[in-house]
Amino acid sequence: MFKVKAFAVRNIKELMRDPLSYIFCLGFPIVMLVVMTLVNESIPEEAGMTIFRIDNLAGGIAVFGQTFIMLFTALTVSKDRSGAFLIRMYASPMRSADFIGGYILPMTAVSAVQTAAAFAAALIISLITKTSLNILGLLAAVFFTLPSAVMFIGFGLLFGSLFSEKSAPGLCALIISLGSFLGGIWFDAEATGGVMLKLCKALPFWYCTRTARSAITLDFSFDEFLLPLIIVLICGTAVTALAAISFKSKMKADLS
Amino acid sequence: MTAVEAKALVKKYKNKTAVDSVSLTVEKGKLFALLGVNGAGKTTTIRMLSCLSAPTSGEAFINGHSCISETETVKTEIGISPQETSVAENLTVRENLEFMAAVYGFDKAKIKKRSDDMINLFSMVEVENARAKTLSGGWKRKLSIAMALISEPKVLFLDEPTLGLDVLARRELWSAIETLKGKITVILTTHYMEEAERLSDRIAIMVNGRIAATGSLTELEKISGRTGLEEVFVEIAERSSQNV
Repeated sequence: MFKVKAFAVRNIKELMRDPLSYIFCLGFPIVMLVVMTLVNESIPEEAGMTIFRIDNLAGGIAVFGQTFIMLFTALTVSKDRSGAFLIRMYASPMRSADFIGGYILPMTAVSAVQTAAAFAAALIISLITKTSLNILGLLAAVFFTLPSAVMFIGFGLLFGSLFSEKSAPGLCALIISLGSFLGGIWFDAEATGGVMLKLCKALPFWYCTRTARSAITLDFSFDEFLLPLIIVLICGTAVTALAAISFKSKMKADLS
Repeated sequence: MTAVEAKALVKKYKNKTAVDSVSLTVEKGKLFALLGVNGAGKTTTIRMLSCLSAPTSGEAFINGHSCISETETVKTEIGISPQETSVAENLTVRENLEFMAAVYGFDKAKIKKRSDDMINLFSMVEVENARAKTLSGGWKRKLSIAMALISEPKVLFLDEPTLGLDVLARRELWSAIETLKGKITVILTTHYMEEAERLSDRIAIMVNGRIAATGSLTELEKISGRTGLEEVFVEIAERSSQNV
């Protein structure tokens, strides 16, 4: 465990000292929260559009922020692989599981902090816009969005393991677009229905957003919360397992 | 006592033989240089000796432990400073050292002591709080070697330690490496004659993946009938190329 801890501390320091991580992981989600609140204020009440109302928006932004954690995970892993840093570490007693744990754990912690910061901003906005937002629900959502954080970190680890420093961010951009659009963050998939809803339901991102939104409103019913959470857990486990296998096989190939 | 032993090591990549039946023995506390031009197989040889690459055939041992079947044990006994920069760029010099010490499971007090020792050994006090990415090439190499040494390895591998350094940085690093002589076993790869001549107890001249000759400078001069390492190297390399 000390090897995981040492590597995790190194990774968290690397992330914390990169100014871009503050811009993308903290600043950008909060800016989007403010911008979309302004958009919501411009929508007439008769339109009946609630997707950008702060109680809906906060959950979506939490998931949106996690996609940037994926990007930074991919960048960290691919950068380590492209230089001789991992070669040095391969010659140390560290095993593949130590590397994987050392990448996933700090990124999960950063994701939780990011979600908490976004929710704090959402709470302030809710006071300004006089929209009710349950603090208990926000706290629950910080916890229940962890599985989706792990899933996105898994994607980052997967892309960082398989692709170069130049290709991995491109693939992450694809997931960021898919995740935010088909996750139902920027539009009401259920109101749209049809093929779009089917497409959203075929991918895990929609369930990530749904879990977060349900937790915020303290709706822990099976359909609204438990089922989406189970789907996110299964997908998160599958993606993380795939990422771990990929990292391990790449490490084996590097050492052959 | 033997610290490093290689027996007929071979490394093939598809149709190319990078290392061809390399055998060598290095005594404890000695500094052994693998001298050769680029592509001679030096890096591949130390990659196999440091468990970073599995040999196609042959065997290697570090302090009697097999580099193939006892990699976990071997990894606790070696340190390596790769050819390319291999430091955590956003960490300070001290943090890089502490990180490596923590990976080897040292407690807090020992992490601090070993880091202090390395900072003093390599005269890095003035840069200990500077981030690695802001360091010059010479400082980065020193840090890289210090990171390899912090775990108290019995065998240290230095892959082209002074490649790309200016003459002053190179000589400073040589002085640091010389302080290690007699304390731990060092294997270094180089294509600088002066470096091999100044630092090594024994030199192996590698040509086209093979060891063409091994010995002290005096022994190599006798074998080749030439004086000075550069003349010796050219003579042995030419002879070896003709024999292929």
